[in-house]
Amino acid sequence: MPLIEVTNLEKTYVNDDVETPVLHGVSFNIERGEFVALMGPSGSGKSTLLHVLGFLDGYTSGSYRFDGKEASTYEGDATALIRNKKLGFIFQSFNLLPHASVSENVALPLLYSDVPENEWAKRTIDAIEIVGLTHRRDYDTTRLSGGEKQRVAIARALVCNPEVIFADEPTGNLDSKSGGAIMETLQNLNEKHGHTIILITHETYTAEHAGRIIRIKDGLIESDTIVTKRRHTDGGVLKK
Amino acid sequence: MRLKHSIKTAYNGLAQNAARSLLTILGIVIGVTAIILVMSLGQGAQNLILDQVKGMGTRTVIVGGGREPTGPSDAGQIFNDSLKKRDLEFLERRENTPSLKYVMPLVFGASGASYQSDTFNLTIFGASPLMEKIFDMPIKDGVFFTDEDVRARAKYVIIGNKVKKELFGSDTAVGKIIKMKGNNFRVIGVLAERGQDFFNFDEAAIIPYTTAQDYVLGIKHFTRFITEAQSEALISSAAEEIKITLREAHDLTGDEKDDFFVITQVDLASRLSSITSVLTIFLAAVAAISLVVGGIGIMNIMLVSVTERTKEIGLRKALGATQKNILTQFLLEAVMLTGIGGVVGILLGAFLSWGVSLAIRTFTSIVWTFSFPVSAALLGIGVSALIGLIFGLYPARNAAQKNPIDALRYE
Repeated sequence: MPLIEVTNLEKTYVNDDVETPVLHGVSFNIERGEFVALMGPSGSGKSTLLHVLGFLDGYTSGSYRFDGKEASTYEGDATALIRNKKLGFIFQSFNLLPHASVSENVALPLLYSDVPENEWAKRTIDAIEIVGLTHRRDYDTTRLSGGEKQRVAIARALVCNPEVIFADEPTGNLDSKSGGAIMETLQNLNEKHGHTIILITHETYTAEHAGRIIRIKDGLIESDTIVTKRRHTDGGVLKK
Repeated sequence: MRLKHSIKTAYNGLAQNAARSLLTILGIVIGVTAIILVMSLGQGAQNLILDQVKGMGTRTVIVGGGREPTGPSDAGQIFNDSLKKRDLEFLERRENTPSLKYVMPLVFGASGASYQSDTFNLTIFGASPLMEKIFDMPIKDGVFFTDEDVRARAKYVIIGNKVKKELFGSDTAVGKIIKMKGNNFRVIGVLAERGQDFFNFDEAAIIPYTTAQDYVLGIKHFTRFITEAQSEALISSAAEEIKITLREAHDLTGDEKDDFFVITQVDLASRLSSITSVLTIFLAAVAAISLVVGGIGIMNIMLVSVTERTKEIGLRKALGATQKNILTQFLLEAVMLTGIGGVVGILLGAFLSWGVSLAIRTFTSIVWTFSFPVSAALLGIGVSALIGLIFGLYPARNAAQKNPIDALRYE
């Protein structure tokens, strides 16, 4: 059974009685352990798709089954619970809590989880180690570089051990060297730790770090291809 | 989410804007301080009045002329002249009032008293020698007048401590002659200093009631009868006996209204304490308005804070916070703000009240004791926390109902 099954998904925003259709019937499946890049120009509907897949937004029609269960059957606190337990989010603008340490930021999702409190410290330490920030554990996040901040965000996404990690333009605010390191970390998570990753980007060279690229245009899937020659930065910079 | 972590999260939220948080709670601090100050001083005033009334003796029953004043329009009734010599004789008859130990007639009025070139305005009390015992007034110097002096309408006077100081300074007063309402009185005694009391005897002159009626006030009636019951158990029967006796003496029958009033020390105490209670509650209610104003300030700042932290709210929701988690976080912030304001206000109010009581004791002769009603402290904490809940609810609901995507996109 695929982890994510999307069938004929449609999404229309209604604002002051003006209907804006964004997704016009999208279908695809994503298996556990895949690294998929969703690509498309701005306004193509890729962010909307990510929000629907991430249980941050609903859909108008069609079907979205996560782990075999229709997403629209989750309501209220149940969506909060599934975001907490099964999904991890990485944002373009990091979205860290200011005036809090790396550890405090990484531990944030644990506050809302049912993970026993005596496991919190170990989980936090482990997640920080995976992203290679052990030496910065007690730093205030305002003292970190952009690349380091994004790695804190990755550790935060990992700490509840989710099924899927959603990364929304994670390298968009970073220089090419930091961006390269982030893509390396994501690949590492996918290849060595077996995490399912869904990446949003509008850059082909970033998307080619994934194993599969789904191109979206005007709310429809334009192409869905396997990446034959996967890019690896290997300590280098993210380049065209 | 456990309460411990909710509290820590709320605390961190407040600590990030420490200066603003402090300014925000000022309204609550001032409101609670005012309430505590008023209640504490009210309690102090009440204790003072009750102590003075108790100084009269718990078995004291007071009879006054006219109907008992029940409001400002009845004030004139105080001067009613219904208590006469015949009433005194009736009340003194054992068979009429078996529950009474004694009856003392009392008249009083204002007068100036002068010695050589010095004049002092005082209250003249016309009494009998029982006065010394009923009001527990030790003579510092000299003696009290006797029943014989009363019969003889002697022009003897016992003066209060302040009168002595004003007229004679450090000289001896006993044996000197002072002038009151054109009559010469020989000072035969000086009262020990009493401090502030119900009748302010420090600024009084006590003379035989006969002398007072005939030579000073020119009246035939009595202002009060001060009586004492045989025992505390007999207070109400004493009051009843007095009523029956006086109604008979005044030929009052059926449902004719009494032209006198009888009040026990306990009645007096409860009446006075209910007056101070009402005053205290009224003033505290006025002070409470500032709490509401403070609460609105809190709501305003919380709304600003929620808007400012829209992105944080979105992030927390994306990471799995439920509506309830967010609601709790912001409600706790509001309640912590007002709670801290309440505690600071209580401490400040208690401190100010203590300062006021110290000042009263230092600069006046009033024996004011500092009292801090625990009920006021509990009320202060409770009300301020409640204000936080009420005024924090709307901003917290705003926060909780934010859509995570809109919140995340918010710049």
